[in-house]
Amino acid sequence: MSAVVDFPVKPEARPYLEAFGRDRRRGDPAWLRGYRRRSLARFAELGFPSRRSEAWRYIDLRQLEQRPMLPTARPTPVVTSALATQLAEIGLAEPSYRLVLVDGKFAPELSSLDQLPSTVRLGSIAAAIAERPDLVRSALEAQSPDRPFASLNAAFFAGGFVLDIAPGIALERPVEILHLAAGDAAGALYTRSLVVAGQDSRATVVESFAGSGDYWRNDVIELRLGAGSELTRVTFVAEGVDALHFGETLARLDEASRLSGFVLLAGGRTVRHDVTVRSEGAGSRCDLNGVFLLSGRQEANILTTVDHRAPGGETREVFKGVATGHAHGAFQGRITVRPGAQKVDAHQLSRNLVLSPRAAIDTKPELEIYADDVKCSHGAAIGDLDEAALFYLRARGISNNEARRMLIEAFAQEAVDLIEQAPLREHLRSRLTRRLATLEE
Amino acid sequence: MTASTETLDRVRSLSQEGYKYGFVTDIEAETAPPGLNEEIVRFISAKKEEPEWLLEWRLAAFRAWREMTQPDWAKLNLAPIDYQAATYYSAPKQNAGPKSLDEVDPELLRTYEKLGIPLREREALAGVAVDAVFDSISVATTFKEELSKLGIIFCSMGEAVREHPDLVRKYLGTVVPQNDNFFAALNSAVFSDGSFAYIPTGVRCPMELSTYFRINAAKTGQFERTLLIADKGSYVSYLEGCTAPQRDENQLHAAVVELIAHEDAQIKYSTVQNWYPGDAEGRGGIYNFVTKRGACRGARSKISWTQVETGSAITWKYPSCVLEGDHSVGEFYSVAITNNRQQADTGTKMIHIGKGTRSTILSKGISAGRGQNTYRGLVRVQPRAQNARNHTQCDSLLIGDRCGAHTVPYIEVRNPSARVEHEATTSKISEDQLFYCQQRGLNAEDAVSLIVNGFCKEVLKELPMEFAVEAQKLLAVSLEGSVG
Repeated sequence: MSAVVDFPVKPEARPYLEAFGRDRRRGDPAWLRGYRRRSLARFAELGFPSRRSEAWRYIDLRQLEQRPMLPTARPTPVVTSALATQLAEIGLAEPSYRLVLVDGKFAPELSSLDQLPSTVRLGSIAAAIAERPDLVRSALEAQSPDRPFASLNAAFFAGGFVLDIAPGIALERPVEILHLAAGDAAGALYTRSLVVAGQDSRATVVESFAGSGDYWRNDVIELRLGAGSELTRVTFVAEGVDALHFGETLARLDEASRLSGFVLLAGGRTVRHDVTVRSEGAGSRCDLNGVFLLSGRQEANILTTVDHRAPGGETREVFKGVATGHAHGAFQGRITVRPGAQKVDAHQLSRNLVLSPRAAIDTKPELEIYADDVKCSHGAAIGDLDEAALFYLRARGISNNEARRMLIEAFAQEAVDLIEQAPLREHLRSRLTRRLATLEE
Repeated sequence: MTASTETLDRVRSLSQEGYKYGFVTDIEAETAPPGLNEEIVRFISAKKEEPEWLLEWRLAAFRAWREMTQPDWAKLNLAPIDYQAATYYSAPKQNAGPKSLDEVDPELLRTYEKLGIPLREREALAGVAVDAVFDSISVATTFKEELSKLGIIFCSMGEAVREHPDLVRKYLGTVVPQNDNFFAALNSAVFSDGSFAYIPTGVRCPMELSTYFRINAAKTGQFERTLLIADKGSYVSYLEGCTAPQRDENQLHAAVVELIAHEDAQIKYSTVQNWYPGDAEGRGGIYNFVTKRGACRGARSKISWTQVETGSAITWKYPSCVLEGDHSVGEFYSVAITNNRQQADTGTKMIHIGKGTRSTILSKGISAGRGQNTYRGLVRVQPRAQNARNHTQCDSLLIGDRCGAHTVPYIEVRNPSARVEHEATTSKISEDQLFYCQQRGLNAEDAVSLIVNGFCKEVLKELPMEFAVEAQKLLAVSLEGSVG
C-alpha cells in the first residue's frame, strides 16, 4: 500500500499504517489482502478508543498511544530454556492435546497432537487459510467492525489456531493451547483463532498465555457452538510483568448449546479480557466466571457482554476481583435481553476486594432488558476483608499475613470452584495459590 | 394539600380523559424573540434588573455553553433540539408587582385553582408555603411572614438577587458550576426564576416549603434555578411538584437545583414530576433535562432526595450528593414510570469524600407500553473517605413486552475500608399476584395499580404524607391503559 491513503487517519494510527505498508505478506490470498486492508482503514478511522468510550473508561492507554507497538518480523523461534520454563509454569499436568504457539507461530516440536482423533482438526490458522479458506473467511467477517483493536488485529494477525470438532464428538482430553512469547524484541503479537464445536459435540479448551519481555499481545478468537454442543473454555493469563494483553472473544451460541467460560488474570502489566456472547438459539446456556488478582502497578479489565437474542436462555456470571498495591481492576458486565427473548434467566455477580489504600476497583454491572417475562438480576460489592473473620483466624494463632492470604484465597476460590472438571479446577487452584503467595509482598 | 385528592379523583373518574392538566391559560406574555445569543442573555438580565456581577456570571455560562455539545451518553432517543428556535424569556404581564393575592391576575389564579394549588383560602388548611412559579416569574409567596419571624428566607430567585445579593453571590454556582454540563450551562445563562431558601443556624423550618412549576406560554423553555441553603444544625423539607398544559410541540426544560447543607443540617427534597408526557404515540411532551445536586459541606449533614417521576417525554435527571463533610449522609429514593413512548434516564451520584460518609440508593423503575426506563448511578469512594458505606437497591418492573428496563450502575472505589453494595432485579408483575387480586374482585387495572404501589412503597413512604397520597394516585393515572 502506498503512503497516500484515501481514508481519514487518526494520528496514533499512522505508525501502524506505515508498518502495514512495509509488510508485503506474499503468502496471503487476494481476499485476505483485501480484508486486511479494509480492517486497517477501519482502524485508522477509529483510532485508539478514548476514556469517553464506555468500554474503555477504566483502562489507561496513554503508554500505548505514546509508544506504538508494531508487529515484528520474528525469526522461527528456537526452543530455549526460558520457553521450557514457561511451559512448565502454565502447562496442564493431565494428558492433553497440546498446541504450542511461540510468538503466535505454531511450534510442532513443543506440541503433541498425534493422539488427536481424525474427527477433530487442530492446527495453525495459516494452515487453515490454505486448506479451508471459506471457514476462516466467514469467521473473520463475523467480527464487528467497530472494535478498533480487533480491526488492527485483522490487519496484522500472523498466527493463531483453528480447532474444528465434528458433530457428535466428545473429546476426552482437554485441548490445550499455550501462547508463549519468546521476548526477543519489543513489539506486538497478533493472533487470531477459531473454535468450531459441531452439533452435540463436547470439548474443553484451555488457553494459557505466558511470556517474557516487553510485548503487546492482541488476541482475537471466535467460538462457534453448534446446536446442543458443550464447550468449556478456560483462559489463564500469566503474561510477563511488562506485557500488555488484549484478548477479545466472540462466542455464538446455537440452540441448546452451552458455553462455560472461566478466566484467571494473574500476570501482565495491562490486561484486558473482553468476551461477547451472542445467544442466537433458543435455550442456550452461558456461564462466565473469573478472577483477577492484581498487585504492584497492574491494571486489568474484564468485560462481558451477553446478548440474549433468543428465548429461554440462561446466563450465570460470577466475577471476583482482588487489587492491592497501586493496582487498578475493573469489571464491566452487560446482559442484554432483546425484544421477544422471553423466559431468559440471567444472574450476574461482581464481588471485589480492595486491599491497599492506593488500590482501586471499579465495577459496572449492567442490565438492558427489552422483554418482560424474564428474570434478571445482578449484584455487586466492593470492600475489604471481613474484620471479624480476620480476628477469628488471628485468635487461633494464625499470623496476620497468613490469615489474610487464607481469606483472599477463599474469596477467589469461590469462582474457581465453579469449574466442573476436577483436574482443571485443581490446576487453576494451584495457579491461584501460587499467585497469592506473591500478591501482598 | 395541593393537586389534591379531589382533583385527582375527578381525573380518575374521567377515564379516557388523558392528561388532566392539559389546558392553556391565555395571558398576555411579554416574550423575548426566539434564539439564544449574548443579546438575549443581556435582555433577560436587564428585564430582571440584575446587578452587573450576575450578568457577567450569565455571560460566562453562555460562553461555556457555546463550546459544549449536548451529551449523548444517556439511553435516550430524541430528535435534535434546535436551541435557536426556543424562546428564553416569557413573563406574565403585570402592571406592577402584586401587593396581595387580590392583585394577581384572576386568570392566573383560576389556573392554580384548576391545578389544585391552594394559594389563598386553602393555604392554612394545607399548611404549605407555596412559591408558585408561573412561566418565569414568581407570582405570589405565602406564609412569608411566619417564616421570616424565624429568620427563614423563602422567596423567588429574582427577589433573592435583589434582597439578599450577598447570600446568592456566595452560594450560587458553588454546587453546580456554570460549566458543569451542557444543560446546566444553558440554565446558568438564561435562568428565568426559581426559588431561594435560606434556613439560619439552628432553625427547624416549621412547615414544608413548596414550589409548583408550570410551563405555559407556547414555545417557552423553562429554566428554573433553585438554591437552598441549610445553615448549621437547621432542618428543612422542601417539596417540588409540577404539571404542564397539553401541547403538541416538544418543550425544553432545563432546571438546576443546588442544595447546601452545613454542619449538622438536614435537607429533605421531595419531587413529584408530572410534566406532560406526550400522547400515546409520543407526540409532544416535555424534554426534562435537570441538574440537581446537593453538597453536604459540614460534618454530620444530611441530604435526602425523593422523587416520583411520572411525566415528561424525556427525563434526564441525576439528583446527586457530594458528601464532603465527615460522617455526612446522602439518600436517594426514586420511583420512575415510563408509559407509552416515554423515556427516562435517571439515577443519582453519590460522591464520598469525607470520612465515615454513608449513602443509600433505592430506585424503582416501572416500564409499560413502549416506555424505556434506565437507572444510571455512580457511587464513588475517594481515597480519603475512610469507612464509607453505600447500599444500592434498584428494581425494575416490566408491564408488557414492548418496553425496556435498564440498569447501569457505576461503582468506583478508591479506599480499602469502604463497603459498597449494589443489587438489582428486573422482573414482570407476577401472574400469581394479579390472579389473586382479580379473584377478589379487583379489575386488572386496579390490581396493577395495587401491585405497583406495593412495589414502590419503600420509596413512597419517604415522601411527606400529603405528597405520598398524591403520588399514589399519580402512579395509577400514569399506568392507565397499560394492561388489558
